Amino acid sequence: MNDLCLDVGYRSLIKYGEQLCGDMVAVTKSEDGDFILVLADGLGSGVKANILSTLTTTILSTMMAEHISVEDCVTTIAATLPVCSKRAVAYSTFTIIKITDNEEAEIIQYDNPMVIMLRDGKSYDYPKTEKIIENKKIYESRIKLQCDDVFIAMSDGAIYAGVEQVLNYGWQRENIEAFAEACYDRNQTATIITSLLLEQCDLLYGQKPGDDTTVATVKLRKRKPLSLIMGPPADPKDVNKMMNAAFSNKGRKIVCGGTTSSLAAEYLGKPMQTELTYFDPEIPPTSKIEGVDLVTEGVITMSRVLEYAKDYVDKNERYDEWRKKKDGASQIARMLFTEATDINFYIGRAINPAHQNPNLPITFNIKMNIVEQLAQCLKIMGKNINVSYF
Amino acid sequence: MKVTICIGSSCHLKGSREVVESLQALVAENKLEEKVDLGGAFCMGNCQNGVSVKVGDEIFSVTPETVKEFFEDKIMSRI
Repeated sequence: MNDLCLDVGYRSLIKYGEQLCGDMVAVTKSEDGDFILVLADGLGSGVKANILSTLTTTILSTMMAEHISVEDCVTTIAATLPVCSKRAVAYSTFTIIKITDNEEAEIIQYDNPMVIMLRDGKSYDYPKTEKIIENKKIYESRIKLQCDDVFIAMSDGAIYAGVEQVLNYGWQRENIEAFAEACYDRNQTATIITSLLLEQCDLLYGQKPGDDTTVATVKLRKRKPLSLIMGPPADPKDVNKMMNAAFSNKGRKIVCGGTTSSLAAEYLGKPMQTELTYFDPEIPPTSKIEGVDLVTEGVITMSRVLEYAKDYVDKNERYDEWRKKKDGASQIARMLFTEATDINFYIGRAINPAHQNPNLPITFNIKMNIVEQLAQCLKIMGKNINVSYF
Repeated sequence: MKVTICIGSSCHLKGSREVVESLQALVAENKLEEKVDLGGAFCMGNCQNGVSVKVGDEIFSVTPETVKEFFEDKIMSRI
């Protein structure tokens, strides 16, 4: 293993007027740690396509995880998919990206637009071998990876975006390639790359997608640990234990909460300087303690971070709110969602008597709830999460 | 003179920002920037009676409604 990890982000636009998506993405880890992403696009749209693509992604990810050959995988799919009565074929396209030890990628493609690979921000033309299995033309590639390599898989909805609306031939693969290069920023996460491309598709479709459109991005990046401390420990004797655990870690540190930050300042033997500038009227100002990267208020700030997290793993519509702002919640959002890969939470369970007031939205249960939900969202973002309670 | 306003969770919900903004405006209006040093602090352990404002060693409870009165009684009088 190396100090690299994989960052994944995928989302679909559903064909206008449909309720189910006919594209499907599945991400799995095999028992020996291989990363497997499968993107399938079922024939047609709606329920039928949804069933075809669900079957395809499930079969392929299960079989790939067991190291079964591509030939056998494809044969199984051909034998399993129900035949469409209208068109008399059983059909679903697929793209498989399998990554071993963060060192080598194996890409298997059948009838989806070819995966775009970016290396150092430029499109990289990786070698492909053609294979015919069950009369299907399948492309296979093996690529040695470098840090910051990006793979973008998509369904054909992406390259048809804008056909006969604003473009003659749709947003072709080379256009998408150029767009991805133009938008490239080394610090971009997979989720952000996916959002940028999908938003462009949605725009070209005039917000009424003519086909299910899916983008799935995988990025190989450096690991970055982060520790976040919130709440004083239930037993005041455990303060040092909790601070020791957090401050002995590598990487960035965030301290949330008034009492907690006083304890951290005392532990570090450094004064705390509190600002009085409101970058967001609803979020209390931040503070500074030498040795801590960010000091904020607790529950109100974290509630906002949770709102951003839920949006980020869903439609990512609020990205512009926290992308650059200087308030505590925006800063935490950037550090947690876009920078960190391994996050350790140190959560104190002391109950602040002043907060146990039914008129205040900051009770103990709410605090615990925020932590649990936030950890859940961060897991969806593909981060390694560890929560310790004191 | 050091005047510290609590901006912890509890006080924030009771209107710290309004109190901070009013005090900043009042200090500017009365040209007291040289004499009154406004600062923030997290939690003064007086959450029940927020918004907590500390003048010297004394902690007062101020609300956005009473901030003007507080400024005249406790700050102007001490200058």
